[in-house]
Amino acid sequence: MADDYTHIILADDDEDDRMFFTEAFEELKMNTSVRTFNDGVYLLDHLMKNEVVIPHILFLDLNMPRMSGIECLVEIRQNSRFKDMAIAIYSTSASEEDIESTFIKGANIYIKKPSDFKKLKKMLSNVVTINWQYQTNGLNRDNFLLRL
Amino acid sequence: MPLKSIYRAPWFVKVVFVVSLFIVFFIAGVSYKHITDLSKSQELVVQTYKVNVELEQILSYLKDAETGQRGYFITQDSLYLQPFLESRSKINNSFAELKSLTKDNPVQQKNLKELNVLIENRLENFDLVSAYTANDEHTELQFKMIFLNGKNIMDSIRVKLNGMIALEEKILKERQDVYKSDMKFTPVFLYSLIVLTLLLMYAAYAKISSNVDKLKRSNQRLEIFKEATKQSEIINKHGSWRWEVEEDKFHFSDNLFRLLGEKPQSFDHTLENFMRYVHPEDIDKLSAQVEQMKEDQELPFIYYRVVHADGSVHYLKAYGRSTVNAEGRVQLLGTTTDITDEIDHFNTLEQRNQELELNNKELAAFNYVASHDLQEPLRKIQTFLSRLEEKELEKFSESGKTYMARINVAATRMRSLIDDLLQYSRTNKSDEVLVETTIDSLIEDAQQDLAESIVAEDASIKVDRLPQMKVIPFQIQQLFSNLISNSLKYRSKGRKPEIHISYLKVLASADERLNNAQSDFYHRITFSDNGIGFDQEYAEKIFVLFSRLHNKDEYSGTGIGLSICRKIVDNHGGFIFAAGVPNKGATFTIYLPVS
Amino acid sequence: MKLFIKFDFQAVCNSVLEERLQALGIAYKIVGFGEVEFLQKLSEEKKHEFVEALQPYHIEIVEDQKSILVQKMKDVIIDMVYNADTEVHVKSSVYLSEKLGHSYGYLANLFSEVTYTSIENFIILQKIEYTKHLIIHENLSLTEIAFKLNYSSVAHLSTQFKKTTGITPSAFQRIIEKRRQQQN
Repeated sequence: MADDYTHIILADDDEDDRMFFTEAFEELKMNTSVRTFNDGVYLLDHLMKNEVVIPHILFLDLNMPRMSGIECLVEIRQNSRFKDMAIAIYSTSASEEDIESTFIKGANIYIKKPSDFKKLKKMLSNVVTINWQYQTNGLNRDNFLLRL
Repeated sequence: MPLKSIYRAPWFVKVVFVVSLFIVFFIAGVSYKHITDLSKSQELVVQTYKVNVELEQILSYLKDAETGQRGYFITQDSLYLQPFLESRSKINNSFAELKSLTKDNPVQQKNLKELNVLIENRLENFDLVSAYTANDEHTELQFKMIFLNGKNIMDSIRVKLNGMIALEEKILKERQDVYKSDMKFTPVFLYSLIVLTLLLMYAAYAKISSNVDKLKRSNQRLEIFKEATKQSEIINKHGSWRWEVEEDKFHFSDNLFRLLGEKPQSFDHTLENFMRYVHPEDIDKLSAQVEQMKEDQELPFIYYRVVHADGSVHYLKAYGRSTVNAEGRVQLLGTTTDITDEIDHFNTLEQRNQELELNNKELAAFNYVASHDLQEPLRKIQTFLSRLEEKELEKFSESGKTYMARINVAATRMRSLIDDLLQYSRTNKSDEVLVETTIDSLIEDAQQDLAESIVAEDASIKVDRLPQMKVIPFQIQQLFSNLISNSLKYRSKGRKPEIHISYLKVLASADERLNNAQSDFYHRITFSDNGIGFDQEYAEKIFVLFSRLHNKDEYSGTGIGLSICRKIVDNHGGFIFAAGVPNKGATFTIYLPVS
Repeated sequence: MKLFIKFDFQAVCNSVLEERLQALGIAYKIVGFGEVEFLQKLSEEKKHEFVEALQPYHIEIVEDQKSILVQKMKDVIIDMVYNADTEVHVKSSVYLSEKLGHSYGYLANLFSEVTYTSIENFIILQKIEYTKHLIIHENLSLTEIAFKLNYSSVAHLSTQFKKTTGITPSAFQRIIEKRRQQQN
C-alpha cells in the first residue's frame, strides 16, 4: 500500500489559498501528490491532454477569472473520461441553494474554505480518506456527496 | 295595494278610455230602447181609448136606433125611423174599426164576435118590432114578448160592452205598470253608470296630469343632467359622440372639439375633419380601428394621440357601444377621454419605480459583494493567525500572546458579522419561487443544522405536526434555524432549554393581529421557549437590523438574525410578532398566508 | 554470435499480466510494480483461473496476509450492515473478534493501519452508504431505514447521516433526484 498515492489537483487563482492547500498536504503526510493550477483554463488545458494521469480528486475554486469553477465542473462532467474522478468545490462561501446546485451539476464534495489551518488539514484528510473508501471498497460513486 | 298598482299601470288610461266609451254606447242604447218603449205605450193608450170610444159609439148607435123606433112606434111617423135606418151602417163601420184595432188581441176578437151576434139579434128584434108597428097588428101578448126580448138583448149588449171596456182598461193598466217599473229602475241605473264613468274619467285625468307633471320634472332633471354632463365633460376632459349606423353620420359633443383644441362646433361633424387632428403615426392604426368599428358596430378601448393647433400632443382613449334608439335605429354611442395627465403620471411613476428598483438592486448587490468579498481577506487573516499560533506562539512575549488572542476574538466577531450580513443580503432575493413543501422536514433539517448545540445544551424541542405549505424552502429552514438558535443562545442559565413549536390554521378576520391581512386564512406557527425572555416594550425593536438588547460580552449576537427572520416572513407575505416575559421566556408567532 | 539484450522486467511482466487479464475478460488496473487492482469483484473461480494462467510464467500471486485479514474484516462488517435485521445483535467488536479469531485491539490497529480509517468509521460509512442506497433505490422512508439498520431513533440516523456526509437525508434525496432529472 506504500505506493498508494492519491493524486490531487487544485485550481485556484488565489496564491495564498494555493499555499495553504499545498502546505496542509505536506504536513498531513498522507501519500498524496498535489498539483495546482492558477485558473480553470490552465486546468482544462492540462486535463484534456491525452497522456494525462487522471487525478483522484479535483479541487475547484468557484471564483476564478476566465473560467469559473462551475464552468469547469460542467465541462468536466460532460466527459466520461473523468467519471471516476471526485470533484470537490473549494470555495469561500455560498448559499445553501448554490451548494445544492453544484452537487446537482455533478460535484461530489463541497468544502467551505475554513479560517483555521488545523481545520483545513482535518477537512482535507477527511476528503482523502473518504475518497479512498470509495476507491477501495467499491462504493457507488453516484451517491458520493460530502459537505464540509 | 293592487288598486294602486292598477292605477300606476301604464295601460290604465287606455283601459279607462275604452271602458268609458263602452259605457257611453251602453247608455245610448238603453236610452234609445226606453224612448221607443215610451212611444209604444203611448200608442197602446191611444188604441185603448179608440176601442172604448168605438164601443161607446156602438152603444150610442143602438140607443139612437132604439129611441128612433120608439118614437116611430108612438107617433107612427116614419120620420122617427131615420136614425134607426142609419144606425145599421154606422154600427157596421164601427165594427170594422174595432176589428182592426183589436186584431192583435184574440180575447177581444172573440168578444167582438159575440157582440156581433148580440147586435144582430137586437137588430132583428128591431125589425120584428118595426114589422108589428107597420102592420099595427100588435096583439098585445106577442108584441109584449118581442119587446121584452129586445130589452133583454140590449141589456146583454151593455154588459158585453162594459166587459170589453173593462178588459181593454185592464190591459192598458198592466202595460202601464210594466212600463212604470221599467222607468223607475232605468234612471238610477243610468245615473250610477254616468257617475262611475265620471269617476273613471277623473282617475284617468288625475293620472294623465300626474304623468305630465312627472314628465315635466324628468325634463327638468334631464336638462340639469345635460348641463352637468357638459360640465363634467369639460372637467374630466372627455367628449361624447354618436355614429348613426344607417345614415353613416357622426355627431360630436361640444367638448370633443375642445379635446382637439378647438372651439365647440367649429367644424362639420365628419370623420375626415376629425382625422385631421390625429397624430400622423396613429392615423393608420385609428383608421383601421374605425373601419373595424363600422363592421362590428362596437368599439373596444382604443388609444391614440392627437395634435392640437399649437403643436401639443395629447393622448386620447375612446370606447363605444351600439344602442337602438326610440325609433328603432341603431347608433353607436362613444366616449373619448383625454388621458394625457394619466399617461404622464404613469410614466413618472414608472420611472421612479425603475429608479427605486435599480437603487434597491444596487444596494443588495453592494451588500452581497461587500460581505462576500470581505470574507476572503478575513479568512486569510484568520488562517495566517492560526498558522502563527501553531508555529510561532512560543516566540511571543506574554503581551504578544494577549494581543494575538485579542486579534483572534475581534476577527471572529467580524466573521460572524460578515456571515450574518451575507445571509441577510441573500434573503433579499425576491425572484424566488414558492414551492409546496413539507414543513416538518424543514424543521427537522433546521434541527440537524443545529444538532451540535442542541445536544450540547441538552435542549428539548417539541414539534407539533405541521401541514404542507407553499414556501421558499431554504428561507423557511433558515427562519426555523435562526429562531431555534436564538432560543438556544438566550437560554436561561438555571434550566434546560425547552422549545415548543405549535401550529394552528387561523381565520384572518378572527385574529386581531392580522389587521392588514391580504389572505383569508393564515398558518400560525408559534415558537415558545423558556429562556431569559425580554421586556415586552422591546418586542418591535428586536427585529430592527443591528439592534441588540444585550451587551456583546454577555451574549454574542450580531443583531441580524431576527432581522433575517422578519425579511423571510415578509418575502412570504406573512407577519412575525415577538412576545416576551423577562426570565420566563419568549414567544415568536409567525403568520404565513394560506395560498 | 552473442547478442546483449536489455529488457525492462516491469514492462515484460506487465505486458504478460495485461495479456492474461484481457484473455480472461477481467477489468483491471496495474497500480505499480507487482500490484494489480481488480475493478470488479473477482469470484473465487475466476481468481483460480487467473492463478493458473500465470503459472507457466512462474508468476505467483503474493497476497499480503494483513490485507487478507482486513478484507475479511470488511466482508464481515458489510455482511453485518446489510443483514442487520436478521443477524444476532451483539456488539460489532465482539462479533468481529469471535468471527476472525483475533483480539479486537489487534484487529482495530490493523484496520486503521491499512485503511487509514477506524473500524467504527468504516461501519458508519457502510451504514450511511446502505442508507443512501435504500433511500434512492428501495424508496424507503427514513423511519423504515432506521428500523432496518437497528438505529435507536430516526433522529439518530439522520444526525449520523448529516455528520458523515455534511448534508441531511432529505437534501441528499433532493440532489440525486434533480441530478437524474437533469440527465434525462
